[in-house]
Amino acid sequence: MIAMRDVALAYGGCRVLEHVDLEVRAGELLALVGPNGAGKSTLLRSIAGTMPLDGGSLIVAERALATLSARERGRLVSLVEAEGPVPEGMTVGDVVAMGRLPFRAWWQWSSHDADRAAVDAALERLGLTAMRARLFGELSSGERQRVWIALAVAQDARLLLLDEPTSHLDLRHAYDALTLVRSLVADGHGAVVVLHDLNLAAAFADRIALLGARTLLACGPPSTVLEEARLRSAYGIPIAVRHEPDGRVVTFVDRAVLR
Amino acid sequence: MLGLERHRAALTVLAATGVACLAVMLAGAAIGSVAFPFPAIVDAIVHPTASTEVGRILWDLRLARVLLAALVGGALGISGMLLQTMLRNPLVDPYLTGTSAGAACAVAIGIAAGVASPALPLMAFLAALGTAAIVAALARTGAGISTERLILAGVSLSALFGGVVTLVILLAPAQSMTLSILGWLGGSLAGRGWGDLRIASLYALVGTIVAFALAPALNALRLGERRARALGVDVDRMQWAIVGSSALLTAAAVSVSGLVGFVGLIVPHVVRRLVGSDARFALPASALVGAMFVVGADTLARSIVPPVELPLGVLLSMIGVPAFIYLAFRRRPA
Repeated sequence: MIAMRDVALAYGGCRVLEHVDLEVRAGELLALVGPNGAGKSTLLRSIAGTMPLDGGSLIVAERALATLSARERGRLVSLVEAEGPVPEGMTVGDVVAMGRLPFRAWWQWSSHDADRAAVDAALERLGLTAMRARLFGELSSGERQRVWIALAVAQDARLLLLDEPTSHLDLRHAYDALTLVRSLVADGHGAVVVLHDLNLAAAFADRIALLGARTLLACGPPSTVLEEARLRSAYGIPIAVRHEPDGRVVTFVDRAVLR
Repeated sequence: MLGLERHRAALTVLAATGVACLAVMLAGAAIGSVAFPFPAIVDAIVHPTASTEVGRILWDLRLARVLLAALVGGALGISGMLLQTMLRNPLVDPYLTGTSAGAACAVAIGIAAGVASPALPLMAFLAALGTAAIVAALARTGAGISTERLILAGVSLSALFGGVVTLVILLAPAQSMTLSILGWLGGSLAGRGWGDLRIASLYALVGTIVAFALAPALNALRLGERRARALGVDVDRMQWAIVGSSALLTAAAVSVSGLVGFVGLIVPHVVRRLVGSDARFALPASALVGAMFVVGADTLARSIVPPVELPLGVLLSMIGVPAFIYLAFRRRPA
């Protein structure tokens, strides 16, 4: 679904990432982890086509990203970012309905039945149906996060990119959001999710990609990527990793070393 | 479904605004140094070839003027709404792109150099578009336009041309020239007719069509530039289209009316209260409310102390500012 070869990215004239080779398959959830400033969001935006590559090649759905028109990209890839302006005067329904924009020609001012059905289904799936007439600006940050995810669901793109979708959510809502992403992945979507919580990443992702030192440090199943020495060097703090007999991995900050 | 109900409500308000706009235009045609009853006005409009006195005054003088006022107001209203939405800034007005300052500068120099007055609207139009092009070129980053740089370039260039206008006024060889320049700066539709309307309406029409075509994508821009891009909007191309159409609309307005301030700033605020921010309703509503404002103000300008005409722009500020303050600052029931 995505194939990156020797990708380099720059932000504000500075190289933040280079020599990145990465693949994401349909029906797979890839978690993107790493310290702040490692280039996780930048990488996500470059896949969404909202930020140009500084080198290398990026293939999305068997086509080079650069050859896709903006609208074709909008149909293939959806990007969920919590950061950004709060739309004034838009209701929850209005915001989610924007997900149908890539499917409308510029002269189509009103939505079709199919668009409305997709919006209704997305609201239903995120439990937002009762909230659809509420103003977006009046929602809590956790509720806003769910609305952005609902927009991506309405967009029905094959590839979902989520930038810290759990950042404003309590544990329960974080669990719900990632469970939803998993159910979309089970439907055949591909997903790349930026996460800070390594345990959530280990619990929900098929594979984890660890960024750091301006490159991709490791990529693979959680049990192989989450290694003590590697994490300590990437984050620069004492991190302990425990491998359970059933294959699960638990990471935590090692306070014994701190003392 | 709630969404559809809201759309229906917005459409109803839009239709009501259209009727109100038509009523104000008819009133504008009826009121003047000679007042006509409504039936005579309607009769003269329906039978344009009948050579009655009402018909002559209406067709030779008032109708063109009312339509011009509507065009100026509508163009400034749409232009203001486009720029406020694109820049997500409620303080922006259509003159931000330097159009007014450029036009004022050209007209001031033209008057001081003794250019014949029929040539002034064209000069104003070209200077307005030229200035907007310079501002847009300065604000260009990569393939798109940086909104911060657009504001900075617009404000700087406007200040520069404002300075030139003041200098020309101070150094103008004759007092009559100074008065002509000040008259243009105060905004007026006096002496304008069908010829001006034909030219200006052509440009305004092109600007309006582009603006309306942008409506759905303009809504996406309300989510922020990056999110709009992720939704398949070609933001760079759209920014050029917005700045271009808004400059075309403003230049068309400024070329016939001189500086008519405040309409482009206040109309979007009124419209958002009437029909909300959805560009599909807000753009047509901006045209109607803007037209209503300027037709009403122009009617007052020529009928308060006849035969003297008050400057349109000044009158609009004097009525518009208190109205705006009332709208913006009144306490809403909790």
